[in-house]
Amino acid sequence: MSASETITHDIIIVGAGLAGTWAAMTAGEEKLDIAVLSKVHPLRSHSGAAQGGIAAVLNNVRPVEGTGPRGPLEPIPPGGEAVDSLDLHMFDTIKGSDWLGDQDAIEILVREAPEIVYAYEHMGCVFSRLPDGRIAQRRFGGHSVPRANYSADYTGHVLLHTIHEQALRRGVKFYSEWYCMDLIIEENVCRGIIALEILTGRLYTMRAKAVMFGTGGYGRAYKITSNALANTGDGVAISYNAGVPLMDMEFVQFHPTGLYQKGILMTEACRGEGGYLVNSEGERFMERYAPEKMELAPRDLVSRAEQTEIDKGRGIGPDSQGLHLDMRHLGEQKICERLPQVRDLAMKFAGVDMIDAPVPIQPTAHYSMGGIPANSNGQVIADTNGTPVVGFYAAGECACISVHGANRLGTNSLLGASVFGRRAGRTMAEFVKNGAELPPLHDDPAKHNQARIKHLMDGNPGSNNHESVSQIAEELKATMTQGCGIFRDEERLANALRKVKELQERYKSARIMDKSGRFNTDLLEAIETDHLLTFSEVIVASGMARTESRGAHYRTDYPKRDDENWLKHTMAHKEEDEPKLSYKSVNIDWEKFPPQERKY
Amino acid sequence: MANRSFQGNSATIRVQRFNPDVDEKAYFDEFSIHLEPGTTILDALREIKSEQDGSLTYRRSCRHAICGSCAMNINGKNMLACNQPLKDHLDRRGRITIRPLPYQPIIKDLVVDRSVFWEQYQRVKPWLIPPQDVPEKEFRMSPEEVEALKDAEKCIMCGACYASCQVIGLNRRYIGPHALLKAFQKILDPRDSVPGERLAEVAGDDGVFRCHTIFNCIDACPKELNPTQAIETLRKLAQKRQAFEAMRRERQKSLIVSTPTRTAEPSGD
Repeated sequence: MSASETITHDIIIVGAGLAGTWAAMTAGEEKLDIAVLSKVHPLRSHSGAAQGGIAAVLNNVRPVEGTGPRGPLEPIPPGGEAVDSLDLHMFDTIKGSDWLGDQDAIEILVREAPEIVYAYEHMGCVFSRLPDGRIAQRRFGGHSVPRANYSADYTGHVLLHTIHEQALRRGVKFYSEWYCMDLIIEENVCRGIIALEILTGRLYTMRAKAVMFGTGGYGRAYKITSNALANTGDGVAISYNAGVPLMDMEFVQFHPTGLYQKGILMTEACRGEGGYLVNSEGERFMERYAPEKMELAPRDLVSRAEQTEIDKGRGIGPDSQGLHLDMRHLGEQKICERLPQVRDLAMKFAGVDMIDAPVPIQPTAHYSMGGIPANSNGQVIADTNGTPVVGFYAAGECACISVHGANRLGTNSLLGASVFGRRAGRTMAEFVKNGAELPPLHDDPAKHNQARIKHLMDGNPGSNNHESVSQIAEELKATMTQGCGIFRDEERLANALRKVKELQERYKSARIMDKSGRFNTDLLEAIETDHLLTFSEVIVASGMARTESRGAHYRTDYPKRDDENWLKHTMAHKEEDEPKLSYKSVNIDWEKFPPQERKY
Repeated sequence: MANRSFQGNSATIRVQRFNPDVDEKAYFDEFSIHLEPGTTILDALREIKSEQDGSLTYRRSCRHAICGSCAMNINGKNMLACNQPLKDHLDRRGRITIRPLPYQPIIKDLVVDRSVFWEQYQRVKPWLIPPQDVPEKEFRMSPEEVEALKDAEKCIMCGACYASCQVIGLNRRYIGPHALLKAFQKILDPRDSVPGERLAEVAGDDGVFRCHTIFNCIDACPKELNPTQAIETLRKLAQKRQAFEAMRRERQKSLIVSTPTRTAEPSGD
């Protein structure tokens, strides 16, 4: 194969969701040459699937006095006392993170939140409104005050469309349906990426002074997930392969309410608007697990509660692996006004109208707290000392700063992607304007990837001991679900690790049927599966090493949180046989927000 | 014709195939899959791709009708593949016919070239153009004004409407129901300060007056939106452009409300 063609830009951003688009727009204000790659059309990005809301201290609503923690909300009148504060949002996030979140970064998150939400609104984002025209807010899990700013139950969708529209206005150049296959880092300097133009199958070497990943999460490593089929953690795996460490990978969030057997997201706002979780005995079981917050405890807690109920035989459904989300008492009007999308989803995918019947749900792999370690300016770091990887940046779900620590609160992800995407854009623009040079490339970096593609096409699945990629992917998902799910222990993790390594080995004999260059999604899915195998190993290995329970990582053999030994971030570097683990300290304001017992 | 009483346990999926690099023209492939309750059309495609023919090509991502990737033509009608139960679209003999969206060049199998669709979307300037003065907090857009958008903001740009429109079939320059719905959303938004310009654009040669009220767009929309009604509204407004502009200028005066200082101002320290 001939050497690939080279394309050069000042800045290349991979991922056109909220993080990537904010970065592009912000850096774009400096009139630099910026390109955004996305393996799907930008409007198909998974940011658009977020439902419940984006958190910010706006102080638009308050609970009606005397009506309790599930009572109605009312607008705060002009001149009325504020009920929310940045400190409160910060504390809620820190507690939600089980004290693994870096508090300096969280301070930035909550401080920039109101400005980001107003920015979206000024850009034309359609929000649900109070009678006086202010943005409506609702309750959400783990937040002690209603601060989820929402647009019915499709908040991510409106935010994504709004920011994409604005990016078009600014003339941002999108490479739509271009897939980043590899990252070029030499001597700790990022030099560019290798991209596959999906339409033609051609490989391009893309050089830039700065590269940013906003490539999203990796839920597709699991069988039941809320994530799109496209969420295969490519950015995370590619970075790891290029020598960049991954941080806190063991922290995988399971969202309590995915549709039974499908995993499709039923927003936490169902519970925020008053929905109940009920077991097969008709009991509102959260009373026993989080007596104060009940269904609005943070997600890791609720998912564990659900799984416990299921494991104890109180599940519903043909295989008793589900539970009920009961929305009936909300009434038709409220459901149709505030939760139209999820009502439709329950009808289409579960055959149930939540107005008349409880919806069958189960925990679903939802969010990746871990990822590419970056500081709050979006700069990717290479080690526990914070050494920057020159010219490489990350923001959004693929990054780990960490603001979400061991468990993320709902509505903080749309916020985090926006805030830190914007900051990364600013940082990259400064870097380029301060005279960053285009780093040189040595020999043809696309060669390795051309070989990868050739290898996958050399033969057919099912003949000559060649395996099918989908078979390997299925087994991986089953392994991760079984061995590295909500409840983990040494034995199950060890088995999972063994199995992942076996699958990595078997992958070498996997082949694809489609040999064409044109729009080859068979090839795409094969490479995505390779990436799933890569980072799954890191998740399991990190989980095996962490002998404590914190946030979303729960060890039945080490059920307690152990601050003395484990108040630190896991960092995993790629090495020959297994990831090399090291640990990074957490930024904590010991006076203001010292670690406490985490009860809800 | 779809017949819901098909009782068999295997379905025959007829899919149109075409790779312009190797095929002279499009042809049909037939696949047989085991029918499970709850199988969607997308599930069937995925099963075929992973177990029978890896070269079967289609777009998909979210699989729950929010990303807009998987619009295609099922038994002659455009819809999303991911939220349609397969059994609802099987005929008496358990067959379904899947083709790519019409009126657009085929890239491969069920993947079409959407360039013109996206160009028309950009043509209506889908971004809000707010007034010069921007408030410290949010513009005071009322719940009624949000209602007046008639859910237009829910559009996922899937293209089912566009590819159902016979005007598009005859006239590729027609802006199209998707872009006109987006234009409607921006024109009706009180925060947009150029409704007059927008109305002038959509009232031009390729815009709202080309619609023949065929209503295919409404039938096709997976979000139950109503581009025809939006186009109707724009036609009326286009004829009262200056009055509408004046009304908007007036409205924008009260969009910004200064907020009195509250007690206990939230602060960062």
